[in-house]
Amino acid sequence: MAPPAQAHRSPSPSQPSGKGEVSDLKSQLRQLAGSRAPGIDDSKRELFKKVISYMTIGIDVSAVFGEMVMCSATSDIVLKKMCYLYVGNYAKVNPDLALLTINFLQRDCKDEDPMIRGLALRSLCSLRVANLVEYLVGPLGLGLKDNNSYVRTVAVIGVLKLYHISAPTCIDADFPPTLKHLMLNDPDPQVVANCLSALQEIWSLEASTSEEASREREALISKPVIYYLLNRIKEFSEWAQCLVLELVAKYVPLDSNEIFDIMNLLEDRLQHANGAVVLSTIKVFLHLTLSMTDVHQQVYERIKAPLLTLVSSGSPEQSYAVLSHLHILVMRAPFIFASDYKHFYCQYNEPSYVKKLKLEMLTAVANESNTYEIVTELCEYAANVDIPIARESIRAVGKIALQQYDVNAIVDRLLQFLEMEKDYVTAEALVLVKDLLRKYPQWSHDCIAVVGSISSQNVQEPKAKAALIWMLGEYSQDMQDAPYILESLTENWEEEPSAEVRLHLLTAVMKCFFKRPPETQKVLGAALAAGLADFHQDVHDRALFYHRLLQYNVSVAERVVNPPKQAVSVFADTQSSEIKDRIFDEFNSLSVVYQKPSYMFTDKDYRGPFEFSDELGNLSIAAESADNVVPAQGVEANDKDLLLSTSEKEEIRGATFNVSGYSAPLYDSSAASVQSELAIISSTSAGSAPSSSLAIDDLLGLGLSAAPAPEPASVPPSLKLNSKAILDPGTFQQKWRQLPISLSQVYLPFLTLILF
Amino acid sequence: MLQCIFLLADNGAVILEKQLTGHRVDRSICDWFWDHVISQGDSFKSMPVIASPTHYIFQIVRAGITFLACTQVEMPPLMGIEFLCRVADILSDYLGELNEDLIKDNFVIVYELLDEMIDNGFPLTTEPNILREMIAPPNIVSKMLSVVTGNSSNVSDILPGATASCVPWRPTDVKYANNEVYVDLVEEMDAIINRDGVLVKCEIYGEVQVNCLLSGLPDLTLSFANPSILHDVRFHPCVRFRPWESHQILSFVPPDGQFKLMSYRVKKLKSTPIYVKPQLTSDAGTCRISVMVGIRNDPGKTIDSIILQFQLPPCILSADLTSNHGTVNVLSNKICTWSIGRIPKDKAPSLSGTMVLETGLETLRVFPTFQVEFRIMGVALSGLQIDKLDLQNVPNRLYKGFRAVTRAGEYEVRS
Repeated sequence: MAPPAQAHRSPSPSQPSGKGEVSDLKSQLRQLAGSRAPGIDDSKRELFKKVISYMTIGIDVSAVFGEMVMCSATSDIVLKKMCYLYVGNYAKVNPDLALLTINFLQRDCKDEDPMIRGLALRSLCSLRVANLVEYLVGPLGLGLKDNNSYVRTVAVIGVLKLYHISAPTCIDADFPPTLKHLMLNDPDPQVVANCLSALQEIWSLEASTSEEASREREALISKPVIYYLLNRIKEFSEWAQCLVLELVAKYVPLDSNEIFDIMNLLEDRLQHANGAVVLSTIKVFLHLTLSMTDVHQQVYERIKAPLLTLVSSGSPEQSYAVLSHLHILVMRAPFIFASDYKHFYCQYNEPSYVKKLKLEMLTAVANESNTYEIVTELCEYAANVDIPIARESIRAVGKIALQQYDVNAIVDRLLQFLEMEKDYVTAEALVLVKDLLRKYPQWSHDCIAVVGSISSQNVQEPKAKAALIWMLGEYSQDMQDAPYILESLTENWEEEPSAEVRLHLLTAVMKCFFKRPPETQKVLGAALAAGLADFHQDVHDRALFYHRLLQYNVSVAERVVNPPKQAVSVFADTQSSEIKDRIFDEFNSLSVVYQKPSYMFTDKDYRGPFEFSDELGNLSIAAESADNVVPAQGVEANDKDLLLSTSEKEEIRGATFNVSGYSAPLYDSSAASVQSELAIISSTSAGSAPSSSLAIDDLLGLGLSAAPAPEPASVPPSLKLNSKAILDPGTFQQKWRQLPISLSQVYLPFLTLILF
Repeated sequence: MLQCIFLLADNGAVILEKQLTGHRVDRSICDWFWDHVISQGDSFKSMPVIASPTHYIFQIVRAGITFLACTQVEMPPLMGIEFLCRVADILSDYLGELNEDLIKDNFVIVYELLDEMIDNGFPLTTEPNILREMIAPPNIVSKMLSVVTGNSSNVSDILPGATASCVPWRPTDVKYANNEVYVDLVEEMDAIINRDGVLVKCEIYGEVQVNCLLSGLPDLTLSFANPSILHDVRFHPCVRFRPWESHQILSFVPPDGQFKLMSYRVKKLKSTPIYVKPQLTSDAGTCRISVMVGIRNDPGKTIDSIILQFQLPPCILSADLTSNHGTVNVLSNKICTWSIGRIPKDKAPSLSGTMVLETGLETLRVFPTFQVEFRIMGVALSGLQIDKLDLQNVPNRLYKGFRAVTRAGEYEVRS
């Protein structure tokens, strides 16, 4: 987490300063402050409301701080709430005045109404003034012991706030161990969840300096804690469930029995109404089964339906986030989704970022059985009103053509695009036909016939023009008027703005020359002369190079320019598989949405100009550079850096090693000790195998399950498996296998990820 | 975790700001965001998750109000988005609807709600029933009361019982004079019909919505006549997983009031209730269009609110469209709306007309997509049928009601 930066609000010049109103308010508040007349609360409330509305629209009303505090002696809870809100907002910039509020907040912390106790404690901790922390410790300690769960919930978060204001105070007051005790024993699930989130944050921040803290952090993902939390997962609120599931995803089970038990317990979470819970569960499933290739595939089959439902329900924003995750899964295992291709059809109303994702997925899932339907669908989009999407879909058709063996029908479609008389369609199609010819030279005859009929005047885009010129050069023996088209293009050399096109033109003329020398000789001279005079360095150099080559030896030149070519079998992928793996590792995080591993956008060294800053001035400058594409070579270097620096990643990775049965050389000593601890614990509990029939599925019986809570520190609780469910992994696996699987290809194991 | 929540009006002005952690997020982030939105052309078109130079921004737009949340740390994106959706739902639930004035009038309540819903950036309580007990919604009755009694506190004095209840989504002591429970099947049909009139994709997304007004702690069991047609289901947390797994029975202790019990998908439907047949022929710079609409498979109930909408391609200069039934409107942004309503018994509604193409363009190459809306009351087109609803722990006299409705979701016909 970035260090909390001091940001002073500066009222923007467009808004009224409100000076007059503020001083008005000030005097009115002062009048009310001492009064005890009946009905005073109502007039106070009106004034408070006004103050807060000024605050909300950005007028600085910190001047009335003293008066607000004076007015806050009231029993009216709404007034209190408004006052807390105000104080929380301005205490940080008025540390001296904040001291005034301590008194009444501390008194409220002892109020008999738990709601007020909670609210006061929350506000007290939200003041965030460093020299007031001494007043926090007492109320927080009481709050943690309060008999009302609402107050405890607030107090736990209060501890975290205290930690951020002053870490030593928090540690000295021994709050973290208290939180740990609460986490493992409190009957209220929300208190447990808050403890967990507070402890996670505190211990991971402390871990760098204190060995004990890092041990404690490790202990959070130990078997007793994980099992304890898993057994209570149904009691937690949906958000707390996400938190627990995130933690479980880091847990490394000892054997496959454990894996199946956990999956068994969590399976119904896949049907939760909250998409965040579903995705967290999916993450757990995927991570647990990484080392078990066959089960991993079954997991894909199992999560397919919930994901697709999530996409079709909910708001467009939710579907987009789900789609991004679906996208990464589809890219990893396209064949599993091959039968569901219709889900990736674009709807007219969808925003284009959704359409783009869908197009990529359609491209990925295309195989022998569905290519025809997919290409037909994609061709419909080519006539779409949305031009970027039309382009994107033509490119998709091309990609499918390049990955298929039976391209007969697709080539016809592409050639139809060329005849559509839309400049952008023609342009995209030309580029594709060029790529296609490089891979399937056998189609040259059909393509050339169509390409030859395109007038070069109608093609303006550099990429398309370059493609056309390349084909003119490459297939000049088959195209009757190739030399003459090249000639007219060369004549317009001066008007051609793109260096890429000029480069291609030079090469094409050379190629043409060796195939049809008498017709091209004149053009070649003109092109070389124009090239030599070109102001662009590359064009100039290439022209010079050709010129000297021809002078030296014509037959050598022919071998250089027109060598026998082999069809390209595979085009290089733009995104490396390493990066894809990294993103997959960070499933259910922002990385997936950005399609970049997190270090590319969070790592300080990497970000370069893309830095966190609170200064207004920097905003506009940085905003421009934010769009810059990250240079590719930077990735490699930074990768190594990252591996050395981030210890957390290392641990997870090391842990994966262990599961997969490899030796674990990466384990550092602390992790190893946890490991041995675990071994001891599990040996003591060998008797209480997971077959225990503690299953309490009845919703109303939840209270019962909390009562006989075992002491997790000594004996790890066994998982309360679903009674009806299959207990031994064999049968469970059987059930997963029964899921419809249409595997025709050998599935690549995820070793790359583990070995990485 | 989330660091700050902003609510923005449709002109980009900040309506409300709620700082969540010690790290204060400066308001200038909203200016950056708004510039970004304007550069994208339309706030609906900008991504729900954006990286600004200083923060990662989650945004959703509801009724012209942009809900913005900022964070600087990695977190599950759906958590941010789901939470904002929940905030929007709860606000519109509390205020009746969402608009700038309503939020400004009630911003104290909005602050109170946000205070309970999220603390230190981590979502706490989003269950509407529990929030309702902590903070009373502003309604006419409470306004009247406050005028009459002079006591206008909208915060209840007692803590919600449900925080201590073993069923967290239900208050402990609910009492009704008339006990009623209503179950609604609400379905949306998504379909794509291609230019040859072939049904490319047809799917139904449905929800079982329950309005439960029952005293005490009732235990309900809902079963379907044909649960096997459901392809995938998602449940409210109150539904017990086991009975569904073994017998496809929904067994649950309901929350109080209106809630979404379950959502489901039904795949691969074979037919649609209505047909839309567009024909476009173009020649020598003009294009003739004719669209016919009629009933294909009579669902047994009236189909109403039929509306056809399409965007004319940009290359069309002018259009002259008439229909023999309903009204046709062409807006300046070339969106054409044909409101049909119900299909009359004696004739099939049709729309026809001519359109003039851009000069130099002989034939039309870009064809419009027709989006169809309709509504059928009383029928769930997926064929899903409720078998019975059993209740335990309830008073003897009670009323059970069932309803169904099917609407067009993303229903499009290509030409």
